[in-house]
Amino acid sequence: MNQILTYSVYGAAILTMLIGIFAILTKKNLIKIVIGMSIMDSGFNLLLIALGYIKGGTAPIFSPAVEGKDVIMVDPVPQALVLTAIVIGFGVTAVALSLVIRLYRKHNTIKIDEIKTLRW
Amino acid sequence: MVANPILYIALPLFTAFLVPLLAKLWKPLVRIIPGLVLAYLAVMSVVLMQQVGPDKPIITMIAGWKAPWGINLVFTSFSGFIASLISILAFFIWLYSFKFKKVEFDDAQKYFILFMLLTAGSIGVVLTGDIFNMFVFVEITSLSAYALTAFYKGRDGAEAAFKFLLIGSFSSIMLLLGITILYAYTGTLNMAQLAMLMPQVPMHAKIVSFLLFFVALGIEAEMFPLNGWAPDAYSQAPGPIAASFAGILAKAGIYALIRVSYTIFDLGNDGGFELLLVMGLITMVVSELVAMRQENLRRMLAYSSMGQMGLIMIAFGLGTKEGIYAGLFIMFNHAVIKSLLFLASAYLVYYTSRKKISDLDGFGKLLPLTSLLFGLGAFAIVGLPPFSGFWSKLSLLIATADNHMEFVLATILAVSVIEIIYYFRVLGRLYFRKANTEIKVRKPTWNSVVTMISLAIVIIAVGLHPDLITGLLHNAANTLADKAGYIQKIIPDLFSQTLN
Repeated sequence: MNQILTYSVYGAAILTMLIGIFAILTKKNLIKIVIGMSIMDSGFNLLLIALGYIKGGTAPIFSPAVEGKDVIMVDPVPQALVLTAIVIGFGVTAVALSLVIRLYRKHNTIKIDEIKTLRW
Repeated sequence: MVANPILYIALPLFTAFLVPLLAKLWKPLVRIIPGLVLAYLAVMSVVLMQQVGPDKPIITMIAGWKAPWGINLVFTSFSGFIASLISILAFFIWLYSFKFKKVEFDDAQKYFILFMLLTAGSIGVVLTGDIFNMFVFVEITSLSAYALTAFYKGRDGAEAAFKFLLIGSFSSIMLLLGITILYAYTGTLNMAQLAMLMPQVPMHAKIVSFLLFFVALGIEAEMFPLNGWAPDAYSQAPGPIAASFAGILAKAGIYALIRVSYTIFDLGNDGGFELLLVMGLITMVVSELVAMRQENLRRMLAYSSMGQMGLIMIAFGLGTKEGIYAGLFIMFNHAVIKSLLFLASAYLVYYTSRKKISDLDGFGKLLPLTSLLFGLGAFAIVGLPPFSGFWSKLSLLIATADNHMEFVLATILAVSVIEIIYYFRVLGRLYFRKANTEIKVRKPTWNSVVTMISLAIVIIAVGLHPDLITGLLHNAANTLADKAGYIQKIIPDLFSQTLN
């Protein structure tokens, strides 16, 4: 049972990423594509946090409450990575949305198939 | 003079955010300060390249944490060579764009901020010794590249930038997944320690993670079929930025690809190099064939640039020291020559909004100097003596012949003929057609003339005396091939533990 729970966390994270990728590949609306990118990032962040989790671990902070005691801490590195990844994802989303605004002002539509210059 | 690799990243980043404040005092500072900083970095590169040797890399700790725990910057003969190339080229591109947007102050300010960020990010990718830090720098570079692609409101910049961003976000997620897999199996992010622990990683995880890295960095390095963003981005971005995409952004991408496949994974005997070779071959052939059919001058140069990246991948895919040497030589030549071509072409198509090759009739008379420099660049890039492009192509051909890869050798020669055809088609229009009398031309400013002539002098000087840089290239090639040395220099304690 515990095994299933552990793997279901990874499964959920990967499923979230796949939902994001599905949105990017199939949606016609530029805003929805940007939302898809954001979902993909979140799925990845979940995966990374899940990898760094140790069963029964506490927050990796050395405070007087835990000092000298035998406590298990979760891996702090993935958390630091996710924090960075969130900030970068925020930056990318902001740039993407500002580009969508530019595209809308120029073409008066946010449907990707109505903007001819956006085709590969 | 304070010479420390950390300044390569700190100074441009600091300048990028300081420039808007300084502009409140005196507006021309927006142009002057980035140039002073880049000049300082260029001089620093020369100083550091003299200090560094194959056996003594310059390693800088950041925030006082030693190598496997903290982030470190590694300035070796190899990474230092690429970093110096990028910083010196960035100085030339600054000189060229010194008078860019003389009237529109806001645009100039944005341009110089983003350009400094692009430079800082690219040099960061090259110098960092930490794989996650590399990801962060790749993202800094990409974000500023998206914004620079969308710089002109009148062109289709936003469309090109959106495509670039879409494919870039896939690249970043794959890079992160590759890093995560490596971290899950080794528990470290330091490149040297990763390289040391790599034999412990099971083969399937190694292959999946390598492919993720390969695809993610292949997008940055313009590998076919992941380079759909490149022609649009090159043709919509401002002229000097197209030059820096070829000379700075793509160089950082290919550096990361090489560092990952040579130092970290070391899959040479398991097909890693063959993959690089085959992808390089496909990239080169497809790009050059497409380049021949282009009507737009900028797009033609962009496809030619991808073809050159394919050539670099072939050279590194050989896996021998001669191959690495040839690859580095082509990287140097591509950075210098392609920049000259992009910078010259910016004036050739200045007033024609569609930037077509057929609009170039008779420019040899209208813009004699620019056309001459463009012609010189075209001669050099196809590899005619006595220009520097000849030596790099020759060294690649020798390296392939030494490896007994006659098919690769024949393909490279055949593709060179295609290259000659489409470059000479442009030159034919420039010199052997009558000019349209009503055409408007833009005379180049003095600073861009100085830049283009300096790049041309570099091409001719290296062409006549290849010894000028072959020493540096041999050192760089030896350093890259010496993987154990890299690990030992960065984490000496851990390395000696494993030996005992």
